[in-house]
Amino acid sequence: MKRFIPIALAALAFSALAADAGLPKLAKKATYKIGFAQTETNNPWRLALTASMQGEAKKRGWKLVYTNGNGSAAKQVSDVDSLIAQKVDAIFLSPREEKPLAPAVLKAKKAGIPVFVIDRNVDQSIAKAGRDYVTFIGSDFILEGQRAADWLIKATKGTAKIIELEGSLGSSPANDRKTGFDERIKGTPGLEIVASQTGNFTRDEGRQVMEALLQAHPDVTAVYAHNDEMALGAITALEAAGKVPGKDVIIVSIDGEKDALQAIIDGKLGATVECNPRFGPKAMTAMVDYANGKKIAIKLTNDDRFFDISNAKASLASSY
Amino acid sequence: MARASSREGFGQKYGALLALAALIVFNMIFTRYFLNLQTLYVNFTQVATIVIVATGMTLVIATGGIDLSVGSLMAISGALAPMLFLNESLPPILGVALAFVLPVLTAGAFGLFNGFLITRYAIQPIIATLVLFIAGRGIAQVVTNGNLTTFSNMTFQFIGRGRPLGLPFQVLLMFALVALIAWVIRATIFGRYVLAIGGNEAAAKLSGVPVSRVKLAVYGISGLLSGLAGLIVIAINSSSDANQVGLNMELDAIAAVAVGGTALTGGKVNVFGTLIGALIIQLIRYTLLAKGVPDAVALIVKAVIIILAVYSQRVRQS
Repeated sequence: MKRFIPIALAALAFSALAADAGLPKLAKKATYKIGFAQTETNNPWRLALTASMQGEAKKRGWKLVYTNGNGSAAKQVSDVDSLIAQKVDAIFLSPREEKPLAPAVLKAKKAGIPVFVIDRNVDQSIAKAGRDYVTFIGSDFILEGQRAADWLIKATKGTAKIIELEGSLGSSPANDRKTGFDERIKGTPGLEIVASQTGNFTRDEGRQVMEALLQAHPDVTAVYAHNDEMALGAITALEAAGKVPGKDVIIVSIDGEKDALQAIIDGKLGATVECNPRFGPKAMTAMVDYANGKKIAIKLTNDDRFFDISNAKASLASSY
Repeated sequence: MARASSREGFGQKYGALLALAALIVFNMIFTRYFLNLQTLYVNFTQVATIVIVATGMTLVIATGGIDLSVGSLMAISGALAPMLFLNESLPPILGVALAFVLPVLTAGAFGLFNGFLITRYAIQPIIATLVLFIAGRGIAQVVTNGNLTTFSNMTFQFIGRGRPLGLPFQVLLMFALVALIAWVIRATIFGRYVLAIGGNEAAAKLSGVPVSRVKLAVYGISGLLSGLAGLIVIAINSSSDANQVGLNMELDAIAAVAVGGTALTGGKVNVFGTLIGALIIQLIRYTLLAKGVPDAVALIVKAVIIILAVYSQRVRQS
C-alpha cells in the first residue's frame, strides 16, 4: 500500500501534466497519412462524406486510412484505437455520439496525434475544442432546425399539427435539430407538436414509426424529420395510409440528398435544409493551416443551402 | 395432478390469445382511433416479416434447436436482390425474376450450412448459427461495401408494396406460409419427424427417423423464409441497407415463438401461437409508440415479456 501511493501520485501528476499540455503538434510534410473514422454508411449523406474525404486525400496525394463504425459507438472507439496504433499523422473523427467518443479524442491527444472532429461534436465537458482537439468542423444544427421551422411556419400559415421524427437518441444533430426547431415554433401558438419519436435516421424506422404515429394522430398536417431518409420513409407511410404527401401533410426535413430533391420536384416533400456533406477540402485545408502554425478557430461552420420547389430541379445534378 | 395438468393445458393453449385480447381491449379503450381498418393494415404489414421468419424459427425450435442467423440472412438476401434487378447486362424481366429466386436460394443454402454444422459436427445450434449471425451481416456488408442502395422498381417491389384485391401482398404471403407450415406439422410425416426429434432425439433415431436430413431441412427452410423476408423489407423501403435489414430479427422471431407457446426445449409446437406471439410483440410496440413512450422503454418492455414467456414455460415443465 505504501509503495502504491508514490506511484499513484506520480501517475496523477503525469495525467495532470498531460491534460495541461497543449494540442499535439503537427509537422510540416509534403505528404501525410491521415485517419478518417466514419460513423456508419447507411445513408447517401454518409456516402457523400466518405467520398469527399477520400477524393480530397487522393487529390493531395495523401494516404487515407478509413474505418467504418457501422453504427456502433463502441466499434468506433476501437477504430480510433487502431488509427492511433497505426501512427497516423492526424485523425478526422465523425463521432457517432457525443459522450462515448470523447475519451477516444483524449487518447489520441495523449498519443500525440491531433484530432479534427467533423460533422458531429463530442461532449465539451470531457474533451474541449482548442484544448483537446484542434477544431470542430460542421454545420450549425440548431440553425438547420430553425430554418426548417421558419419554412414550415410560412408554408402552413402558422397552423399545423406536427409529427417530429427524431434522429438517433443522444447524437448532436438530433439534439440540436430538435432544440432549434422546437424553440423556434414556440412563438407561433397555432403550431403544435403532437408526437415526437426517434426513427434513428433510417428510412425503415422512419416509415414504421410514422405509420404508427399516423394512426394515433390522424389529424396531423405536417411532418418535421431530422433527416431526408426518415422523411422519405414518412412519405411511404403517408401514401400507404391513403394521404397525399405535400397536400394533406406538408413535410420538411434536413440534409438535401438527391432522392429528397426528387421528392421535392414530385411535390411530395416541401423543403429540405442542406447539411453539406462535402467536408474533404475544408477539413484538409484546416489541417495544412494547422501544420503551418496558423491559429485555427475552435469552430468552423459549413455554409448550407436551402432547397425547395424554386431550386430543386436546378440543384439535382449537383446533389449527392 | 389431473387438475394441474388441465390448467397447464389451458394456459398453454389460450395464454397468448388472452394476452393479445387484453392488449386489443386496452387499446380500444385508451388509444384514440385504434378501431379502424388502417390500424389493422399497419400492424399486419409491419408484423408480416417477423411472422414469416418466426414460422421457420418455429420449426427449428420444434426440433430443439435455435437459429440466430435469420437477421443476417435477411441482410444477405436484401443485399443480393438489387444487384440482380439493377444489373444492366440482364434483361429487366430476367433480372427481376432472378432477384426473387437467387437471393432466397442463397439464404436457403446458408441455412443448410447451419444444418450441416449442427448435424455433421454435432455443434450446438446456438453456436453453429452464431457463426452466420456474425459472418452473415459481414458478407452482406462486403458485397455492398456497407453502402446503402436505393432503387425504384415496381415490378420487384410488388412483394412489399403490391395490394392484390386491396390486400397487402406480404400479409397474404404471411397467412399462406403460416397455414402451410401448420399443415406440414399437423398432416405430414415430416411434421411428425420434427416433433419426434424435438421430443427425444435418441429415441427418434432408434425408431428410424432420418434425424440429420430432417434437421438439415428445418434450417434450410428457416434460411429460405429469412431470405424472403429480406426481400420484403427492401421492397417496402425502396432501399437496401446491409447494416440495418433484419437487425435484431432473431430476437423478435424467437420471442414470437416463445410467447406463442412453442416449447423452447422442442417437441411441442404451436404455429398459430407464433402468429399470435408476433402480433403481441407488434401490438406492444405500436401501443407504446402511439402513447408517446420512447423507443428505449419499448425495448425493455419487450424483454420483460420474453422473460415472462420463458418463465411460464418453466412452470409448465416442472
